[in-house]
Amino acid sequence: MTLFLQFFLTGIVTGSFLILATIGFSFTRRVEGFLNIAHAELLGVSAFTTWGLNVLLGWHVVAAAIAGIVFTAFLGLAIGRIVYDPIRRLGPSVLLITSVGVAYAIGGTVDALVGTGIRTLDIPLATSYRFAGLRITDYQMIVVAFAVIATGALALFLNKTSMGLAIRAISANPELAASRGIDVKSTSRITWLISSGLAGLAGVMLAVVATLSTDIAFHQILQILAVAILAGLGSLYAVIAAGLIVGVAMDVSVFWIPAGYRPLIAFAVVILVLLFRPEGLAGRKSR
Amino acid sequence: MTFSSLILTTLTFGAMFSVLTLSLNLQYARGGMINFGTVAYFASGAYAYAIFTQDPPSGLDQYAFGLGLPWYVGFLAAGVASLLFALITGWPTLRLRGEYLALTTFAFAEVLHSFLLNERRIGNGSVGLSNVERPDPALIGVNDMLAYAIAAVALMLMTAFFFHRLLNSPFGRTVDAVHDDETAAQAIGKDGARIRLQVFVLSAIPIGFAGALYAMITTLVAPAMFTAELTFFVWIALALGGQKTILGAILGTLALVFFQEAVGAIPFESVRAAQIAASVEEVVTGILFIIVLRWQPWERFSRRTKA
Repeated sequence: MTLFLQFFLTGIVTGSFLILATIGFSFTRRVEGFLNIAHAELLGVSAFTTWGLNVLLGWHVVAAAIAGIVFTAFLGLAIGRIVYDPIRRLGPSVLLITSVGVAYAIGGTVDALVGTGIRTLDIPLATSYRFAGLRITDYQMIVVAFAVIATGALALFLNKTSMGLAIRAISANPELAASRGIDVKSTSRITWLISSGLAGLAGVMLAVVATLSTDIAFHQILQILAVAILAGLGSLYAVIAAGLIVGVAMDVSVFWIPAGYRPLIAFAVVILVLLFRPEGLAGRKSR
Repeated sequence: MTFSSLILTTLTFGAMFSVLTLSLNLQYARGGMINFGTVAYFASGAYAYAIFTQDPPSGLDQYAFGLGLPWYVGFLAAGVASLLFALITGWPTLRLRGEYLALTTFAFAEVLHSFLLNERRIGNGSVGLSNVERPDPALIGVNDMLAYAIAAVALMLMTAFFFHRLLNSPFGRTVDAVHDDETAAQAIGKDGARIRLQVFVLSAIPIGFAGALYAMITTLVAPAMFTAELTFFVWIALALGGQKTILGAILGTLALVFFQEAVGAIPFESVRAAQIAASVEEVVTGILFIIVLRWQPWERFSRRTKA
């Protein structure tokens, strides 16, 4: 039983990371209206920028992480303005396919600069804490804390500020929002900054809890897609629920079936959801 | 690598992957379906061929079935396996549209990949099946590489011919009608979902054959050969060639394969240099892809020649 609870607890940590990785993706989907496959590559950019500043240049890890997140946010903004804006009129399918090209370009650049091999940040080893027989490390607690802070801050921003209101208006009906005098361009810029910044934060978390290799970003997109589909590509709260469900399901599954099948659980969830409830957990019918 | 062998390799793999691009062209440009799981149909063909022709397991082998049948039985089995997999995955998913279909097919491909990797009884897990049986071209007195280049080109031409005839038949016009205006097509009694499933399943068969050919050429099937990268590779080839034409799909694939083979043929001093070249190749491919989708030079060109 303790082992089961331990898997469950690890699942919550995994889920928290997935929430961080997915909210940016889901946010782009909502406001820009397409699935940005390249989102996961931004996690890699941020993780390796942090690693480069921290290990190669000897910066303190916090400074390196902040620089990594800011760099990723502006890189995402630049890609949005240069690549996606001019082709928006061609529809979401072309945008989706183009984002595959963007993922290739980013992934290849990271590969060329970093090379193969396994890397870790220059930080102290994790300290393990015990609560009633369950173990959790301080870095895992940081991941959970940041997931709570990031989702809370985003919810406050969307609900309490006028910029948040503008973003919600655009995601609901872009033409109407534009005709009511909302500046679509600047709203879109803010969206790219926020979603890429969140990808940056998730990348830093990845660098903190995991060992880094250059193919790590690609593996994340699979799980991000799983969470986003389960959430119904919509509301922030659905993403939180979906992230926790997928995270816990993946880690608890190890209790019964071989660990090699762990990623498969995420996809089994995707297929089941799309077959029986294509609009997702909280989505409206819109096929 | 000499220039002639570079051309021969390009022709072999280019023609083989063209079969995939042609099928994708049929599904996307004519059927309006985004299939992000192309590699799964290719893999099921390759594995079916290997399992049907492989000798029964012995020694350290962990696979459960090796039927030891002749190559032509395996080749047919590859087509059937791909067809069956298309039926299983297509039947429940084709009522989904656009990006949802893309995601489900992608998910199915990942599930298959994970099974091939973890379930050792299918094909030795990550090790894969090696020394796959293949017809020996020396019997008819032709050099190995040349024979398989000819086989690949023949398969490509047959696929192109089959799709060409199919699309110029009344069935092809029905497909276009469903693609252009599904409601109107339904009003005159055409079942859109059924037509889409038919297109999906028909276009999967040549992919299975191509998978069998791939297994013959490399004499190896392993999960690492069938990753999502292959799917994206075919999509990039399709975009490069300009959508909607059979010739474009073929030329796009040949150009992309030639580019990759040419980069691979450059002799490098160190491992690091080769690694950087591979990464740069990836970046260039990605940027080409973005540029082609943005400016669509081929469509503009064809419009100009028509005017």
